[in-house]
Amino acid sequence: MQEVERYRKRAIVQHWLIVLCSLLLAITGLFLFVHWFGPAAWGGTSRIVHRVAAVGFVAIPVIYMILNPKSSLEWIKEAFTWGKADLGWAKSAPTYYFGFDIIPMPPQERSNTGQKMWMVVVITMSIVLVVSGGIMWFGKGLVQTGVFQWSVFAHDAAFVIAGAMFIVHVALGAFHPRFSEALRSMITGKVSVHYAKDHHGKWYDRISGGKAE
Amino acid sequence: MADKAILFDATKCTACRGCQVACKSWNEREAVQTTCRGTVENPPDLSTQTWLKMEFREVGNNGDLRWLFNRRSCMHCTEAGCVKVCPTGALFYHPSGFVSYDKHKCTGCGYCSQFCPFDVPRLNTNRVTGKGVMDKCTACTTSGLDRIDNGFQPACVKTCPTGALTYGDRQELVATGRDRIQQLIVQGRTNAYLYGEKEVGGTHVLYVLDDSPSVYGIVENPEVPVAATAWQDILKPIGYAAAGLAALGLLLNVMVARAKLLSKEKGGK
Amino acid sequence: MTNHYIDFRNADYILIIGANPAENHPISFKWITEAISRGAKVINVDPRFTRTSSKAHVYARIRSGTDIAFIGGMIYWVIQDMEAHPENYNMDYVVNYTNAALIVNSGIKLPNDIGQNGVFSGFNPSTNKYDKATWQYGDITTPSTDTTLQDPYCVFQLMKRHYSRYTLDKVSQITGCPKDQIEAIYREFAKSGAKDKAGTILYAMGATQHTYGSQNIRAYSILQSLLSNMGIAGGGINALRGTSNVQGSTDQALLWQYLPGYLPVPVDTDTDLDTFMKRAKGAPATPKGLVWDKSVHWKGNYDKYIVSLLKAWYGDNATKDNSFCFDYLPKAKTGANYSHIALMDAIGKGTIEGLWIWGQNPAAGGPNSNGARTALANLKWLVMADLWLNETAEFWRRPGVNPADIQTEIIVLPVAGSYEKEGSISNSGRWVQWRYKAVDPPGEAMPDLEVMNMVMEKLKELYEADTSAPNREAITKLAWDYGEEITSDNVAKEMNGYDLTTGKLAASFIATLKNDGTTSSGNWLHCGQYPEEGKNLAKRRDPVDVSLNKIGLYSNWAWSWPFNRRIIYSRASIDFDGNPWDSKRPVLQWDAANKKWLGDVVDGGGEPINIAAKGDKRGPLIMNNDGVANMWGRSLADGPLPEVYEPWESPITNLMSGQQIDPVAYISTYMNERGTVDKYPYVGTTYRCTDHWQTGIMTRNLPWLVELTPNMYVEIGEDLANNLGIVKGDKVKVSSARGDIEAVAVVTRRFQAIQVNGTTIHHVGVLWHWGYSGLAKGDSGNILTPNVGDANTTIPESKTFLCNVTKV
Repeated sequence: MQEVERYRKRAIVQHWLIVLCSLLLAITGLFLFVHWFGPAAWGGTSRIVHRVAAVGFVAIPVIYMILNPKSSLEWIKEAFTWGKADLGWAKSAPTYYFGFDIIPMPPQERSNTGQKMWMVVVITMSIVLVVSGGIMWFGKGLVQTGVFQWSVFAHDAAFVIAGAMFIVHVALGAFHPRFSEALRSMITGKVSVHYAKDHHGKWYDRISGGKAE
Repeated sequence: MADKAILFDATKCTACRGCQVACKSWNEREAVQTTCRGTVENPPDLSTQTWLKMEFREVGNNGDLRWLFNRRSCMHCTEAGCVKVCPTGALFYHPSGFVSYDKHKCTGCGYCSQFCPFDVPRLNTNRVTGKGVMDKCTACTTSGLDRIDNGFQPACVKTCPTGALTYGDRQELVATGRDRIQQLIVQGRTNAYLYGEKEVGGTHVLYVLDDSPSVYGIVENPEVPVAATAWQDILKPIGYAAAGLAALGLLLNVMVARAKLLSKEKGGK
Repeated sequence: MTNHYIDFRNADYILIIGANPAENHPISFKWITEAISRGAKVINVDPRFTRTSSKAHVYARIRSGTDIAFIGGMIYWVIQDMEAHPENYNMDYVVNYTNAALIVNSGIKLPNDIGQNGVFSGFNPSTNKYDKATWQYGDITTPSTDTTLQDPYCVFQLMKRHYSRYTLDKVSQITGCPKDQIEAIYREFAKSGAKDKAGTILYAMGATQHTYGSQNIRAYSILQSLLSNMGIAGGGINALRGTSNVQGSTDQALLWQYLPGYLPVPVDTDTDLDTFMKRAKGAPATPKGLVWDKSVHWKGNYDKYIVSLLKAWYGDNATKDNSFCFDYLPKAKTGANYSHIALMDAIGKGTIEGLWIWGQNPAAGGPNSNGARTALANLKWLVMADLWLNETAEFWRRPGVNPADIQTEIIVLPVAGSYEKEGSISNSGRWVQWRYKAVDPPGEAMPDLEVMNMVMEKLKELYEADTSAPNREAITKLAWDYGEEITSDNVAKEMNGYDLTTGKLAASFIATLKNDGTTSSGNWLHCGQYPEEGKNLAKRRDPVDVSLNKIGLYSNWAWSWPFNRRIIYSRASIDFDGNPWDSKRPVLQWDAANKKWLGDVVDGGGEPINIAAKGDKRGPLIMNNDGVANMWGRSLADGPLPEVYEPWESPITNLMSGQQIDPVAYISTYMNERGTVDKYPYVGTTYRCTDHWQTGIMTRNLPWLVELTPNMYVEIGEDLANNLGIVKGDKVKVSSARGDIEAVAVVTRRFQAIQVNGTTIHHVGVLWHWGYSGLAKGDSGNILTPNVGDANTTIPESKTFLCNVTKV
């Protein structure tokens, strides 16, 4: 079977490290969000885990960006490049994701519209979480209580939004039959040519016509 | 247990600070390092070791000089911002109505300190690691040092020599306070005010003041912060709904998609 | 105190002058607060606006040391008002229960009589002492009276003449207090002169710590006598004694001029027991023409108490033949002064070899600390019994001194604190309350009593062996027989006394004590406290108020002296029929049906004046030989009436007369530089804060208290601070002619400049709880205070001196 590389090894490593940090953050954060889980936070150990994971959550992408400035910038640009093609996705998506082909899904770029939505959420919500989290960590007594109060609100709001989207990301990436090779691509880095043509046609045409990455 | 309260009558307080020391003694607090900053007041602020302090204010001058004394400590709100935002249940309402606290459950997040309209809870948080624990007055309901459940008055009330502090059923103390305010108004103190009767749902520390609260340095019209309501009463339910909807929705989606694609395979392309 | 703490709540008017109970007797304010909630009016007079002032209805600021002007003015105002409106006062009381009507020696001259120049008759300027002959009544044994109070030599008219100089203008001029404020206070407090009104005066060191401190108190007693407030509930003169047992200590004769129970100390002219007892007893003086005709003259019983005391000390060795060992007692030299200041003077001049101190700290607690510290180095040996090392124990290694230069040998004995031992404490209301041991003393610390026992046993042993030691029998013949186990219970019984014929405890000083050697009592005031084995009445704790009309006597709680009397001089609270003047607050009530007294313990027994037989109608003030309240005094060292004098260091010349200072004041010559207003322009005064106690050796070692008040500070008015460029928190130097200190400046509105006769006077308030010992250190306020004392008691003039303040 012919394969094409979607993600470099370093990207995969970063992804899973961030996943680890995010899970730690989410779980320890959930202890404080859901009152019923409160006892897990007694004594403050979970908050230390949260902070250690938070350091990782910030450091890992920052280090990656310093070491891979070009591809990082491209990834960010990709997330914020939107156009008519995305409208086409929107028309097809409601039925496409349920397995129907009523309105054909137009060929997608390297990241399809849905993936771009996730990337935007990740980028924006991460910033909100880090900034508000930083205020909550270092700012007691240094910032006005109003600022702290709304930082907590923002932190939890971002968690809600990112968390909801995270459920979508995991469901679609790991369990949805339409995206059977997605998880594999984030482990081996490769997908079959068939999958590439089918799901990211525009991208495949570009790279097969041009240089492979 | 009926709703209890502490009544502080500022007109009877001589600022002996016996209450301040009795609280330290009963609650096994340590003395903090202080310096004289040019007034008789010390320590300068509440802290994890200082749950109660007396404040001194010189108001007016010459012939109308007054020296006013205020008791600064947890107000034990009926609608307590701190309880509302405490994620672990460390802060809770004691059957007496006082806002009690179980230190073992504290996670050190410090939300309570930022959502209290009176700026009372204090933490000894390490700014680097974020580790810390909160301390505040529990009206002597701390487990293991519980005076209230054992039928005693809080330590501060017990020690007060002039009866400026009294303890009992909140309803009765409100009535007593109201009578006292009437007396003061008749004596010419027209701004006399019973503080805590209605504020934040009614506080369990009531104040008989012979002047408006701001003269005594007390927050006028305290409120549970809007952010607390937005967060706990709006955002959280939305969060649960969003997560629930997402999970459910995607479960449905994956199940339907699976069935559809399976049937497609079986039925040919 | 003539009354007691709880009694404050009975008052209609409370005058707090020279005291700050809110800060220094905080528990007492419970009763003042109670009085206020019952409608009492509180008047506070003080150079500084204090926490007491913050709770008073009326506050007036006077220059420190001008109480006599203030009260003298009130006396004159009351006299005038009394003449105009006698119906507003209790004239029966004034005429018959005070010496208002008694006629004084016609040779008396008052300070403003021609040629007197501010002193009374009988003053000898070469000895600085008075001959008091002209101060006595014209007829010494049966004084004549004028019940119309018109005779120019009756006490009333002499007082009027004397205080007529104390006009509102003059008083305002001297005190710096505005006239209208002064008059308003006079008018208000004078209302307590009505039969059904009660006014009380609370005072403390602000009144006593002056060279004329005793006269300050006399002024209050004159006022209270005119206002018929003596002996009634809610009235009286109430000294707020030092916490917690100053009352107990003076009862047991801590003061040099007394034997236990305020019996006089023998002097060298008391050549034998009979001479001594005659002097102690004095003789009754029964006024002619009043409604009563028998002076009870309780001091006539002093022979019983003196002999019983000697029997307690010397036991079987004291017999009639050897005058009950009276000759063993040391005798004070005539005219000598053995008080604290004089003692430190003597040490400074090198006449004292050794000093034993129990729980005191002269290096910081007495006046002129630098002088005291320098003096101590002259001692060969010094024994300190205390809980912690204090400034006196460490004087030899204090900052600025080379220990190698000091030869004094110092022995420190750790002793137990009051919660670490059992015994009694006597509060200001004369209530003797028994206390129990709560914890063991730490380490080697022992109760003082056990230390004394060990020392005395050893002394006895040494004196037995050394037959050449002077006056050795004074020690060897003592009935000191506690053995190994001395207990406060034993001592309490000894203080109560025994009927030696039966071996039983004495029931009371009235029933039991005799002058024939068949009884013993270590302190007649305590006789009756322990009347039976197992019945130490000081242990009683019955909280039920069984007094008439619930005036709060609580006669079954603990035991008060004398003989559980709660309000003394209460025979003045009843009319001639034995009914209380004020039926709302009855202290005594004659029960005609059962022929007995109801209420408090009555003074001097007998029946009411109108009921008693002729010749047995008893005068109410039984401790005075003339049976009446002595507004006119006959025995104080510096005058029969209080007169305005300036403090030893004053910013102005005396505006009342040409006599600048109290002519009999004690002025030390040891390291006692006198400051003048050009170098030291401000009036310094010392006081205490709530959080520290005395020289701080107990409180500056306790972290919770150090947290409250960590540093030595001085209080300066905002106006003065502005002039000097000082802001709150600045370090300042305060100096006097005796020395200087550094302290934190507390800048406050509670001090404000006073205008005195055109001069602007600023006060500076100095705490004195600090020293170089202990956990929290600081400079001692007493470095500034002058080495001068009251004419009668030699209490230091800590409340008024001159000082200067500069920013450091």
